[in-house]
Amino acid sequence: MKIKNQGYNICFAVIILVLAAMPLLLSAGVITSSSFILFLGKCIAFSIVAIGLDLIWGYTGILSLGHGLYFALGGYAMAMYLKLQATNGKVTSFMQTGGFTDLPLIWKPFLCTPLAFALIMLIPVVVSGLVGYFIFKNRVKGVYFSIISQALTWAAYSLFTGLQSYTGGNVGITEMSSVLGSIKGSAHQTNMFIMFYSSLVILVVVYAVSYGLVHTKFGRLLIAIRDGENRTYFSGYKVSTYKNFIYILSAVFAAIAGEIFVNFNGSITPTQMTISYSITMVIWVAVGGRNCLVGGVIGAFLINLCDYNFSSGAMVEIWQYILGAIFVVTILFFKGGLVGIIRDQLPMAIRKVTGKEAG
Amino acid sequence: MVQFINTIFNGLSLSSIILLTSLGLAITFGLMRVINMAHGEFLMIGAYVTYIVQEIFVKIFPESLFSLYYFAALIAAFAVTFALGALMEHFIISRLYGREIDSLLATWGISIILQQAARSIFGMQGVNVKAPSFLNGGVSIGPCTFSHNRLFILVLVAFCLFIVWFIMYKSDFGKKMRAVMQNRAMAQCMGINSKRVDMITFSLGSGLAGLAGCSVALLGSIDSTVGQNYIVNSFIAVVLGGVGKLIGTVFGSSIIGFASIGIENYTSASIAKAAILIIIIIVLQFRPQGLFTTKSRNLDE
Repeated sequence: MKIKNQGYNICFAVIILVLAAMPLLLSAGVITSSSFILFLGKCIAFSIVAIGLDLIWGYTGILSLGHGLYFALGGYAMAMYLKLQATNGKVTSFMQTGGFTDLPLIWKPFLCTPLAFALIMLIPVVVSGLVGYFIFKNRVKGVYFSIISQALTWAAYSLFTGLQSYTGGNVGITEMSSVLGSIKGSAHQTNMFIMFYSSLVILVVVYAVSYGLVHTKFGRLLIAIRDGENRTYFSGYKVSTYKNFIYILSAVFAAIAGEIFVNFNGSITPTQMTISYSITMVIWVAVGGRNCLVGGVIGAFLINLCDYNFSSGAMVEIWQYILGAIFVVTILFFKGGLVGIIRDQLPMAIRKVTGKEAG
Repeated sequence: MVQFINTIFNGLSLSSIILLTSLGLAITFGLMRVINMAHGEFLMIGAYVTYIVQEIFVKIFPESLFSLYYFAALIAAFAVTFALGALMEHFIISRLYGREIDSLLATWGISIILQQAARSIFGMQGVNVKAPSFLNGGVSIGPCTFSHNRLFILVLVAFCLFIVWFIMYKSDFGKKMRAVMQNRAMAQCMGINSKRVDMITFSLGSGLAGLAGCSVALLGSIDSTVGQNYIVNSFIAVVLGGVGKLIGTVFGSSIIGFASIGIENYTSASIAKAAILIIIIIVLQFRPQGLFTTKSRNLDE
């Protein structure tokens, strides 16, 4: 009986084990391309965002169309640190084009490693805290929140592309190695493995924290807010504080994901901050299955694996059609996503079929 | 003084374009509570239809008739997007009434498909529409010049606004429409075919997006992302003005239009865009329901 209730966790454990085996398969020569491992590393980052999004959307009912903002904020902060490491604190080429001979003021703190890491975590907390505090205190909810979060992301995107001499404009910050040094090529394979496994550990920690959270009284409250916000207010809970907390937490997850992403990707561009990128993140959660943490992880891996395989060659055009269609069909007919299909719709269909046969 | 008049005119022009793109949203979002993320793509379709009509005119008709293509394009753009809107309402939106957030996500899926379709058919490169000859040049009053195509868009928007106002508040259909949106069950009891009203209302909103696309085609090159550039401003204009009020959308668009031009005088366009959005988000903190609100005692409105 007990095993039965652990279905999600078992599913998550299987995913983690399969992922953990991947670098070993590379060493054994079963997988030939090491860039596939780098890609899986990015997928780990994506599934961390998906867990964060699931916390606020699936559990609390706040649909943010702007999590790309926090993903990119984390990414940019990390990139600024890594870029300075790569150039030894010298002025970058886009700053020179912008007319800077000395490092701009906002870049200076990233010279100092501990300060940089503090800032990397602090910036998303402060930004999401401020945004969340005002928006939730004034009871902006539902689609209004979604539209405002989308506008906010658009504003940040304009700002980041506009301030070219500070952020590299449309090109973003490129040509960086990871925190551990270079992870590309066979000479640096150990670095890559360490990076991969530590990201995997972060994913497990994020999942465990979220899982623990939603199974406490706090998690019950989140669901209560989703299903009846006013009733929760009337029961004496300060809903805005709860919403703000979970919003900050998910923003932090997104930022952590952005940091991991930069390490594997070696560059960050404003594309990661666009609205369409943010909604893509929502697609992962919707397709995998909202309202259950493992769903987001499954969705993130599945969609990105398809993307990886189809983004070149003949399938590239068709893939966009399929992606759009999957999304529409999921929203219209399968509210629970893939997990929902396996958990609810499939057993029901089987019962229907077998029931009819018996009758 | 000249600069001041130019600023006012540019502001008016930008406001009118934003208003045209948000009029359709004011109907689909404001009245029907459907968040149509594919609205921008309907705009794109309107723009591409303009391009196609132009190509047809170049091939078939003598050159003297070329300028008339634009009027044909206006009608065609409206008709095509109206029909597409009806299709989309029938197959997708009709299942999503009362599920605002889901309508947002499902229409986003549609928008992915439509964007890819545009890329498959017309390629990644943008295409350009040649403005009809009567829209070239401008009116000069003293030292100020007002370009014809911007004046034309201004007139077009005024015309659309009048039509929408007339349909919504003066016509028989508008009465039915508002009745359905306010209290569906009661309206059905009174013998209104609510399904038909839904479909026509949504198609009307989509058709307006097509018209907006037609006018946007005059202003720059058309590619698959042209809709995305307008959609955020339009949504914000509707929310800022107050959902469900036509006058609110007019004010919302004007505020965004004039403020953008005003700020652009002092800084670059992209920073102005960011600044204006942030200011509006701050304003919305004080009036979360927008500037013009419908008074309601319902807690969830």
